[in-house]
Amino acid sequence: MTGAIHQFHPVLAAHDATSDHLFAIRDLARSWGRPAEAFAIEAKPEVAAEVLPYRRLFRMLTADDQLLMHFGLGNDAYDRLATVEAKLALVYHNITPPEFFDGLNPHAALHARKGRAQLRRLAKRVPLAIGVSEYNRRELEAAGFARTAVVPILVDWRRYDVAPDERVLARWRGPATTILFVGRIAPNKRQDELIRLLAYVRRVVDPAARLLLVGGYRDQPQYRARLRALVAELDLGAAVHFTGGVSDAELVACYAVADVFVSLSEHEGFGMPILEAFRFGVPVVARAAGAVAETAGGAAILLDGKDLAVAGEAVGLLRERASLREALVAAGTARVVDFSRERVAARLREVLLP
Amino acid sequence: MSEPVDLDAIQAELRERVRRKREAGVYGADLAAALAHPLPGGGPIAADIEGDPVASLAAAVESEVAYDPRSRKGALAPLITVARRTVIWLIRWYVHEIVARQDRVNAAALRALRVLAEREPVDLVARVSALERAAAREAVHENAVHLDYELFAERFGGLESQVRAQAGQFLTRFAGATRVLDIGSGRGTFLALAKENGIGAYGVDLDERLVARCAAAGLEAYRIDAEEHLRSLPDGALDGIFAVHFAEHVLPGRLLEILHECKRVLRPGAWCVMATPNPSTLTVGAHTFWLDPTHRKPLPPEAFRFYLQVSGFEPVEVETYNPSEDRLAEDGLAGAALENARLLNRTLFGDRDYAVIGRKPLA
Repeated sequence: MTGAIHQFHPVLAAHDATSDHLFAIRDLARSWGRPAEAFAIEAKPEVAAEVLPYRRLFRMLTADDQLLMHFGLGNDAYDRLATVEAKLALVYHNITPPEFFDGLNPHAALHARKGRAQLRRLAKRVPLAIGVSEYNRRELEAAGFARTAVVPILVDWRRYDVAPDERVLARWRGPATTILFVGRIAPNKRQDELIRLLAYVRRVVDPAARLLLVGGYRDQPQYRARLRALVAELDLGAAVHFTGGVSDAELVACYAVADVFVSLSEHEGFGMPILEAFRFGVPVVARAAGAVAETAGGAAILLDGKDLAVAGEAVGLLRERASLREALVAAGTARVVDFSRERVAARLREVLLP
Repeated sequence: MSEPVDLDAIQAELRERVRRKREAGVYGADLAAALAHPLPGGGPIAADIEGDPVASLAAAVESEVAYDPRSRKGALAPLITVARRTVIWLIRWYVHEIVARQDRVNAAALRALRVLAEREPVDLVARVSALERAAAREAVHENAVHLDYELFAERFGGLESQVRAQAGQFLTRFAGATRVLDIGSGRGTFLALAKENGIGAYGVDLDERLVARCAAAGLEAYRIDAEEHLRSLPDGALDGIFAVHFAEHVLPGRLLEILHECKRVLRPGAWCVMATPNPSTLTVGAHTFWLDPTHRKPLPPEAFRFYLQVSGFEPVEVETYNPSEDRLAEDGLAGAALENARLLNRTLFGDRDYAVIGRKPLA
């Protein structure tokens, strides 16, 4: 068995979780001696040199080859690819439930609905579906896939071995409590709740506390506009900072200045930033939604209700009790090992080449 | 290496802190208002819609829908806006029909939910559970489930030697047979007899211990419901059916269904032998029949014979056996006194069991 392991995602870009995962699998497959290429309909300029046009797949694939289709949003190309003569597998990055976008972003809601319908359709044609978490795997099973498996995201941890951006360090270093959240600005991630949480923390814990919201907002302009209005109405002004998309060096710097990572997200298919926080020794407080509890693996303070006061008290407790902070950081550091490249690579090999 | 974190304890501590601060009034109304501050610039986002679903449905049905066709795509914007407005205008009647139907569906659904919501709550689950518990209790009482049936059978079931002799009298009906079914095979008395006489026989019984006992004695018996087993057999699969003290344990309608199945699974010319207490002997019908709490209804011989006949057996014979031990003395009596004594003996002290023996016709 020496077939190729090719992969497809409609759009490939730099600094994008799905693209990073896809390229990491490609490098791994090459290390197994397999031909491996990335295919896309649209390749952003930064990665264009490494990506082939997806139409070539129809000519290139043979029955011996595997095609891993990364799926996070509906696209007609998947239906066409599902007819090719090759061993098909789906890697599911989860689709945000459309209800989160209703009344806010009709485009996103429409695409989420289409994506979920397409997933059920693909279940009939694609024999293997891989979830990046058990939470995702259960959704795949419910969609009707015959064979499902869990393989976590293959993280290229070397990406984080860069010097932190000096400008970010200079601006945010200081005694004030810095709360960090990393993730696209999106209604399911509940950045609005983080802003309300900041109001609590500034009143009860530390009047100088600040909130750093790291993540792109190009996809959700409506939600971001409303977040800005919320910041203004709660009179939080400069205490909330939207960084937009960041470079690796800036991201590393954000983790370096953070006192606590807080996630109030209500839907996470995996929760990669939680692992990043562990990697950088930042204690984590997170609402136990979607795959969060599974990814955190007991190394984060989990919140099971919606009471923001409890989240606020968690921030306060971490600030005053060094022993708790240290214990959580140690547990987080240990947890990261479970997602080491070697372990995930071995698991992926088991699933793809049984 | 630090201590592992007890996250449950931390969560409890956090809740306790919040409770104490709430009680102490640390928060104040303005902070509570900040925590519940709605997201400005539109309705609540989906994840925050809670509370009465009928009220949210009503709000959703009544909410206004707005679509702004104006484009913001630079120089092309006016053109795109005109194109969008044109398309919207062209399809307005088509869309109107669909929207009108959806409006009717929504309004009807909302009305239906309101009607349902105002109905007296009927807790069906609780009521069905109560009935199920009552039925289970009733079954326990009616069948004296907690009676030690093994001890009971030992005390009242008759001597093994006697049971054996009684079963033996029917063996001739099964001479040369290879597949005879004993329904309610019990301790395996008939199965053992059949084996000794070169007749192939097996039994079914619901009592696990008795089935195990048969197996230990090298007899073929299965723990399965007789009716279920009969239904699983193909037509003409058996060349004999034997059932002693089985019919009085099932209700008449079920007995008829079982007889119908018996006829189906017997090969033509094979015999069905069923024995039961004889209630036309009044000491049985009025007394001993009722010793066993699992007996359903006494079955007079004429009725049982009729059941076999309507089930398609022909001929059907009735044989009584197992005479009463006590009898009125007839010695020295003559004339009317003798006649009276004989009548009383027949009525009160006749044979205590009988068998109906039916044959499945050859064609």
